[in-house]
Amino acid sequence: MRRTRGRWRGRTALLFGLVLAVVIAGCSSGSDPASTGESARKPGEKITLTFWSWVPGVDKAVDLWNSENPEVQVKLEKIPAGNSGGYAKMYSALEAGTGAPDLAQIEYQELPGFLLEGGLVDLAKYGAKDDAGKFVEWQWRQVAFGDGVYAIPQASGPMAFFYRQDLFSRWGIEPPKTWDEFRQAAQTIRAKDPKAYISTFPPGNAGWFAGLAWQAGAKWFGVEGDTWIVNINSPETRKVAEYWDGLVRDKLVKTDPDFQNGWYKDLQEGAIVGWVSAQWGDAILAGNAPQTAGKWRVAPIPQWDTGSFVSANWGGSTTAVLKGAKYPKEAKDFAVWLNTDPESVDLLIQGGYGWPAAKDALSGSALDKPYDFFGGQKINDVFAEADKAIDQDWTWIPTTAATYQHLGDGFQKAIAGQGTFVDAVEAAQVKTEADLKAKGLKVKAG
Amino acid sequence: MTTLVEPHATRSGGSPAPAEAARRRRLGPELHWRILVVGLLTVFAVYFLLPVYWLVVASTKSTDQLFGSFGLWFSEPRLIDNLRNVLTHDDGIYLRWAVNSVLYAGVGSAVATLISAMAGYALAKYRFRGREALFNLILAGVLIPGTALALPLYLMISKVGMANTYWAVLLPSMVSPFGVYLCRMYAATAVPDSILESARMDGASERRIFTTLAVRIMSPALVTVFLFQFVGIWNNYFLPLVMLSDPALYPITLGLTSWQSFADRQPELYQLTVGGALLSVLPLMVAIVVLQRFWRGGLTEGSVKA
Amino acid sequence: MRSRRSDRAAAAGFLAPFLLLFTAFFALPIGYAVYQSLLAVERIGPLGLGGSRTVFAGLSNYRAALTDDAFLDSITRVLLYAVVQVPLMIGLATILALLLDAAAARGVPFFRSAYFLPYGVPGVIASILWGFLYVPGVSPIIDLLDAAGLTVNLLDSGSVLWSIANIVTWEFAGYNMLVIVAQLKAINSELYEAARIDGADAWQVIRHVKLPLIRPAIVLTTVFTIIGTLQLFAEPLVLRPTSTAINTSYTPNLAAYTQAFVNNNYSLAAAQSVILAVAACVLSFGFLRLVGRREDDR
Repeated sequence: MRRTRGRWRGRTALLFGLVLAVVIAGCSSGSDPASTGESARKPGEKITLTFWSWVPGVDKAVDLWNSENPEVQVKLEKIPAGNSGGYAKMYSALEAGTGAPDLAQIEYQELPGFLLEGGLVDLAKYGAKDDAGKFVEWQWRQVAFGDGVYAIPQASGPMAFFYRQDLFSRWGIEPPKTWDEFRQAAQTIRAKDPKAYISTFPPGNAGWFAGLAWQAGAKWFGVEGDTWIVNINSPETRKVAEYWDGLVRDKLVKTDPDFQNGWYKDLQEGAIVGWVSAQWGDAILAGNAPQTAGKWRVAPIPQWDTGSFVSANWGGSTTAVLKGAKYPKEAKDFAVWLNTDPESVDLLIQGGYGWPAAKDALSGSALDKPYDFFGGQKINDVFAEADKAIDQDWTWIPTTAATYQHLGDGFQKAIAGQGTFVDAVEAAQVKTEADLKAKGLKVKAG
Repeated sequence: MTTLVEPHATRSGGSPAPAEAARRRRLGPELHWRILVVGLLTVFAVYFLLPVYWLVVASTKSTDQLFGSFGLWFSEPRLIDNLRNVLTHDDGIYLRWAVNSVLYAGVGSAVATLISAMAGYALAKYRFRGREALFNLILAGVLIPGTALALPLYLMISKVGMANTYWAVLLPSMVSPFGVYLCRMYAATAVPDSILESARMDGASERRIFTTLAVRIMSPALVTVFLFQFVGIWNNYFLPLVMLSDPALYPITLGLTSWQSFADRQPELYQLTVGGALLSVLPLMVAIVVLQRFWRGGLTEGSVKA
Repeated sequence: MRSRRSDRAAAAGFLAPFLLLFTAFFALPIGYAVYQSLLAVERIGPLGLGGSRTVFAGLSNYRAALTDDAFLDSITRVLLYAVVQVPLMIGLATILALLLDAAAARGVPFFRSAYFLPYGVPGVIASILWGFLYVPGVSPIIDLLDAAGLTVNLLDSGSVLWSIANIVTWEFAGYNMLVIVAQLKAINSELYEAARIDGADAWQVIRHVKLPLIRPAIVLTTVFTIIGTLQLFAEPLVLRPTSTAINTSYTPNLAAYTQAFVNNNYSLAAAQSVILAVAACVLSFGFLRLVGRREDDR
């Protein structure tokens, strides 16, 4: 009897200790994540950096680096795209204090969010400012905050209009130069083929909508001193919202989500014959609708005014070094190499990572060639023009993801018959101000 | 309705008792009634089996055919190739996920069953102050949605540095308030006090009485608790989703959704998701069908008192 | 007669492992969620580069949660869903159980297995499966209906909640059926004899003998269905990319997950979790009380 109880006690004590550890840790209010365990690599020491990314083609670039740098190996782990769960993974790993990679792909609009949570290493400490000259200026501005440099630019997404040239010419439609013509083209397409649409309006993809508002001259966010200025509900954004609301109401565009099975099927079968998208869209089309090879072309994005040509940017990524990285210097060196080395950039271009952030990376690269999928068109001439016509002062806020949700939720409601797209924009304005306040930040309406 | 039904789970579940069969013959339903019943049963069976049939068909197709051919019939079947791709993709990570799932569900439910048996037995067979209050507290645990707990649990576990480890999923899976509830109900009726007393007279320790006598008598309920918890852990998604970020620790559920979530850039992953789903679903479905008689015993005991 | 003291010691030994784990993984998280939900962060500088501190925020997170129309929508949505789903699920399970009970013995094991089989399919995988059967252009069901001249969209705002309900029903109806079947089997066959002798037809036997006797099983499955209903998460999460009608706060769970892992607002997420847990307890206790009172009235 005594022996039995002793054994009980031993096991119980073990469990109790475990529980106690949880309790104590749970109650301590100090919320410092694990202290940075960074260290300097000794010469000759072999290290491995982990890298989370979802860019197609990045595996080849990493292989190239690994073959050239036996001492600093990079282990690539593919993760879901940021807004499809990739960022949630990163945030939860950062919060957990274990399991976060040394390097991660982070899009421009999410950088302030990671910065606010203290998830990024200031690369200025490791000499990143010397690399500024290697990158396109406006993309560098997206990664520099205050005195710090918090990521290495990778790529952007200048926008244009992809369309099915074979169908457009069969129906006698010219690629639209203005948004008015875009609407007329949409009507003609509906009349010519009851199954076909010029495009979809993806209600859940507010990043795309942000690009269109950007083109129209909106400037959603800004900083004055230490106060955020939120100006989503501006005349420019409302104009874009009303325009697409009209197209949706008149059933001139689909409202199915993009990047989904149904959408790919529509692209393959000619049920969707156009796409206002970024340069990296070429790889999406070529990869998911291979049977339509040779039939697509690219035209400049439709314009609001016929004056000076204006384009926009959709998406774009950086390579960031996450908090807790053991070897931030080596991680930074890899990130700079990945995004500037001509061979690496070429591999990334072939994978379809976007428009290079590296200066002068275009000429002679894989982008600078006729493209078979687009019937031999040198489509990147179109994107080069677009890239020059982007308003370069756009900034993002730490709660961009929430703003995207608010817009997406509002658009979905409107499509379900509750309210309009403009209502969605107005609601997003109010809610975004609240989001920033909830983060303990100062904010005012623009 | 407070009388307890005598535990009957010791009877093998397969064929009805002779008296029951006789009753059925005598009360034999009329022909049109029987046709109606079988007709309805068939309609429901089609409903329940249709997605499984679709899965089997889909897993034989190439990615192109998956989207390009009619979903309910075969087209250029290549099942073996597909399954090989599932098992070899990304250095065979799928097998790793399968092992993880078995580990989480197997270890978690085994420990949960043991702990629940001990607690349920104690609540049924010992008298002490606060017993009913404690039991009600555990009942309240049954009523709290596991997903409401998962978030705070994640925050706590990350504070102690256990997030993104096997323990983060295993430890919470070892608690089954419902298991305790079932074990108490079962032990109260099935384990006679007289046997316990006579064992004590013979000088057996309390622990020995439990491990040799009680566990054996309670075994039908324990099997039920084990299966219930096993399926619960196996099917769980929220807990591993919030706890784990390293794919090497994923269970199958999380792994397959991660494949699906980057299929837009790598369309071949759609086929892998489908093939992986088939591989994961088949063994468990077979087990479910084979073991279904064990879902009977314990559950009624619990429900009678509810 | 043994002393109460040794009883206590033995019971404590048997109960200790469970109670420790229960405390660590049930009671503490609830306490921690309550604590976390009372906090907020204050920051210096537009990107918090000037530093941050955690402050006591009173009930402001609860106020934020309960005035957020998206979160309130998610609650009304699952309540609406529960009002339909719970009776549907339990009704179907009961009908299946009664049908199996009524059918001749041959074939019954096959049907029972067929209905129970989906219980072995995890919710996310069931959602991936049904997702393929819902997406226009891919789904053979929609193809067939199209061919028959019926155009349906199973993923738009009007129908997606019921498409989700279908997935959940498919997964769990067979399980609930099995619980009820087990109770039916426990009914003493003499009761049927007695009813027969009194001249009751099949319907009357169901109405007056079987249904009252399987009531406990129905109560049990109902409580579990209520809890499961409020937990709705995996199905909408998996279907979300394919449906424009599912937003990031479609269910309370999804809203809390989004707050925690997309917006990094753990305090608000904790407040939402607490609200959900309280709601689940109130509803299921309420249901049990309701059932209990009716019992007493008899």
